[in-house]
Order: sequence, then C-alpha cells, then structure tokens
Amino acid sequence: MIDVRHISYSFGPHLALKDCSFRLDKGEFLFLTGASGAGKSTLLRLLFADLALQRGEAAVAGFQLRRIRSADIPRLRRRVSIVFQDFKILPQRTAYDNIILPLQARGMDNAHAHKRVMTVARALGLEKKIHALCADISGGEQQRVAVARAFVVNPRIMLADEPTGNLDPELSLLLMELFKKFQQYGTTLIVATHSPFLLASHPGARVMRLDNGMITQANWSGAVLHQFSSIGPSADFNRPRTR
Amino acid sequence: MGRKNRIDKTGAEEGALPRMVLRLFRQALRDVTLNPWAQLLTLAAVTLVAFLVGLCLMAVTTLDHQLNTSRGETVFQVYWRPGTDQSKVDEQWQRLRLLPGCAHLRSYTPREALRELEGRIGRNSSARNFPFLNENNPLPATALLTFTPDAQDYDRWLAETTSHLAGLEGVERVASTPLRDELGQAWRTVNSYVLRPVILFLTLILGLVVGNTVRLAMLSKAQEVEILRLVGAHNWYIRLPLLVIGGLQGLAGSVLALFLLRFVHMQIDQALNFPPILMEIQFLSLQTTALMLAVPALLGVAGGWVGIKR
Repeated sequence: MIDVRHISYSFGPHLALKDCSFRLDKGEFLFLTGASGAGKSTLLRLLFADLALQRGEAAVAGFQLRRIRSADIPRLRRRVSIVFQDFKILPQRTAYDNIILPLQARGMDNAHAHKRVMTVARALGLEKKIHALCADISGGEQQRVAVARAFVVNPRIMLADEPTGNLDPELSLLLMELFKKFQQYGTTLIVATHSPFLLASHPGARVMRLDNGMITQANWSGAVLHQFSSIGPSADFNRPRTR
Repeated sequence: MGRKNRIDKTGAEEGALPRMVLRLFRQALRDVTLNPWAQLLTLAAVTLVAFLVGLCLMAVTTLDHQLNTSRGETVFQVYWRPGTDQSKVDEQWQRLRLLPGCAHLRSYTPREALRELEGRIGRNSSARNFPFLNENNPLPATALLTFTPDAQDYDRWLAETTSHLAGLEGVERVASTPLRDELGQAWRTVNSYVLRPVILFLTLILGLVVGNTVRLAMLSKAQEVEILRLVGAHNWYIRLPLLVIGGLQGLAGSVLALFLLRFVHMQIDQALNFPPILMEIQFLSLQTTALMLAVPALLGVAGGWVGIKR
C-alpha cells in the first residue's frame, strides 16, 4: 500500500528528510513520532503529493509519486485522506458543509452523502454542532470536523498529523477507536503524534521515530512504550503540541 | 463492508457528472454574491466596453448599409436662385424626374427647406420656428438628384449632366461632387486603420477585465480552492464555477450594453438623415446582435480561464 525507498527532501539548504525507507501493507497502523521539525509533516505531505518528491522512490495506493502526473494527483487523493495539524477547514461554512465537501467533489448524490456525513458526525460526537459555523466552534470540535472530513470518504490510506492535539483524553480515545475500526476494514493509517497516551492506546501498531529527518527507530508501540517506561519520558514526548 | 463496494460508492459514480455540473452552476450563482462590489464594478466595466464596441459596430453597420444602397450612384445637388418663380421650378423638377438614369429626386421648396431647418435647429430649443423669415425666406429651392448612370464614358456623362443642370433657368449652382465615392473611400480607410483595431483592442480589454475579476474571485476563494484540492477535487470541478461567473458577467454585460445601444439608437437614428448626408443610422443586424451576446460571454469564459491559469 505504501512503499518508500531512500527518499530525501530539502527546503532550500535545509535537509528535512534523509534517506528514509519503509513499507506499510494494507490495514497496517503506523505511529510517526519525533520532535517538532523532525520531518513528520514533510513525510506526510510527500505521501499525499502535496510536495513533489526530490530524491528516492515512493509508491502510494498504486501511484508512483516520482512519476505522478498532475492530473493523477486528485485520483491519488481520492484514495488517501489527510488530517492536517492546522485542520484546513472553511471557517465561514458549517461543520456539515465542511464534512460533505469531498463527497460533493466525488459527485455523490445528496441523500447518500447526507447519510454518510451524519454517521461520521455521530461517531465523532459532532451531531449537536453539525450546523454551526466552524468559526463558532472550539478548536477540539474543529479538529473533529477535519477528522470527519477525512473519514467520510472511507479512504484506503489515512494520514493524520497530530489528530488529537486539541482533544481531551476521552475524545482522543474515541478517535483512536475509530482509527482502529477503519484499520479492521483494511485502511492503512499513519498517525504523526507526540502523545505516549496515543501510543499506549494501540500497542499493536508500528512506531517509527524521526530525528532530524532520519528514521532512528522502528518498532512496535508496545516495545517502544516498554522502553519509554524503563528510561522515563523523554522531553520530546512531553513537549506540548506546537502549531 | 467490502473495500470494493465502499470505494465504488466513494469514487465518482456513473451519472454523477450532470449532478456535479448542476451543483457547480448553483455554486457559481452563490459565489457571485461573495464579492458583490467587485462583481458590480466588473459588470459596469464589461457593459461600458461592450457598449463602446457596439457603437463602433453600429458605425460599421450604418456605413456599410449606406455604401451598399448607394453603390454606383452619383448624386447632384441643384440650387436655384432665391426668389425664382416656384411654378417654373416645379415644372423643371417634373422634367428632371424623366431624365435617363434618374433614380430618385428629392426636392425642397424654400418653405420646405425652412421647415426642415426649423425642425433641425428647434428640436431641442425653445426657438422652434422663425416666423420673421416667412416673408423674406433666404433659402433657395433645392433638388437632390440621384442617378444610376450606365454610361460607358462616365466622366463625359458627368460633365454633360452637370452642364445640363447648370443651364436650367434660375439654377444658381450645381454640386456634383462624388460625395458618396469619397465617403466610401474615407470609410474604407477609417474601417481598416481605426475601427477594426479599436474593436479588437476593446475586445481584448473586455477579456482582461473579466479575467481579472475571475482572478480576484479566485484569490478570495484561495482557502476553499486549497481545501478542494486536498480532498481530491479535479481541476475542472474547482474552475467551473469561476468560468461560469466569467461567462455570466460577459453575457450580462453584453445584454445591458445592447439595451443601452438600443436606447441611444432611438435617440440618434435620424441625426444624420438630412441633405446632403441623408444617412439613417442603422441598428445592429440580427447576426451582429447575436455576436454581441456570444462574444463577451465566450470572452468572459476565456478571460476566466486565463485568470485561473495565471
């Protein structure tokens, strides 16, 4: 589903990713950890074709990113959903309008799309705010709108950049349960996070740590948590989420 | 819940295209209200430019019509001395109508000429007539003769006819300037070197004005466009509402311009219809009117396309 080989990426003179390789099969769950600026968001943006690959090869959902044509990028993005750190929602539209956007872009009929939006909104506890303007709801609710928009299309691959950054532990757990449910249906997930709480909620997931753009650790979350508890929490894991 | 079924439902289904296009048209109409002032100003600019293009086209149509109806004709203006016995002049007019090649004779008695003058000068003035001139009218009797000569030797025919007219009793002056030939020549020059480039230039401006507004609309929707791209919307899905806005602006502007042109035409259609010009200003033909509607709309779409691509 995702096959990344020796990719590097630089913003001008700054090398954001160095020679990263990994592979994820259908239905696998990967936590991406690392300090701010370690390259997590860059990696997600590359996999989403939001940045053009500079070096190496990457295959995502059947598309070779090195050779992808601009006309194929929308097709890739119909298979891959992403939740950004800054949500990227339309503040002057309602939560409903934001969530239904990708379904409208796919030409789904209104009745079917409505049903789907309401199902996802209920699952994320948004049903009471569904007709509120996004500018008028809290950061946590905005984040759930962004997650709902990604979920509503049943993606093959789901990428999430700090999806629980604005959520309380209870909602974070709820979200993780949803992620796991999608994983059971075969969705491949990559979740970038600082939160050991999130890692603990899914001991069977894989964990990949990035430091200065390099993969420094790849393991199962249970093993990482064991290591983490034996050496004490690192500064990175306790650092508040930065935006 | 199998993956295949889920993807089928999520992807662009069969029959979805008309639904999407309809939705995008509705969205375009809603988007017009996002920047009402910018849209209104653009509409005003498009109307003004289309109106100017229409005026130029009206000039082209009128002069073309004039050339088509008077091609091959030679016009003589004959002036009698003031105070010439009108009954003799009337007899002469009867004989002149029978001259070979005479297609049309338009005559003015001094009184008719005075009334014509009063009508022209007094149309927008309180001085609608000149009662003090009734008894001492300085205007001569005048005739405007239109010939369609088929003489082999045109110059000789012109000289002989001029001489014949000048020799009539009481005739003071004969003007046989090939007015319409000169007009035609001048018209061709103006058309080639001035009007056509002006029409082209105005058309270009029309495209730029609409294109710029669409670009503005796109900038105001930059966030939405970015998000649409992120959720996998195709370029046409993002662009169609903007192109529709461009087309609507072009169409609405040209409709308004046509109404304005019609109004102006009603005011000036007879403004040049007096001797020796006798030119009735023509409104645009049906074909040109259709072009006036279609071209700005298409230019709006094209301008919108360029605005998005820039």
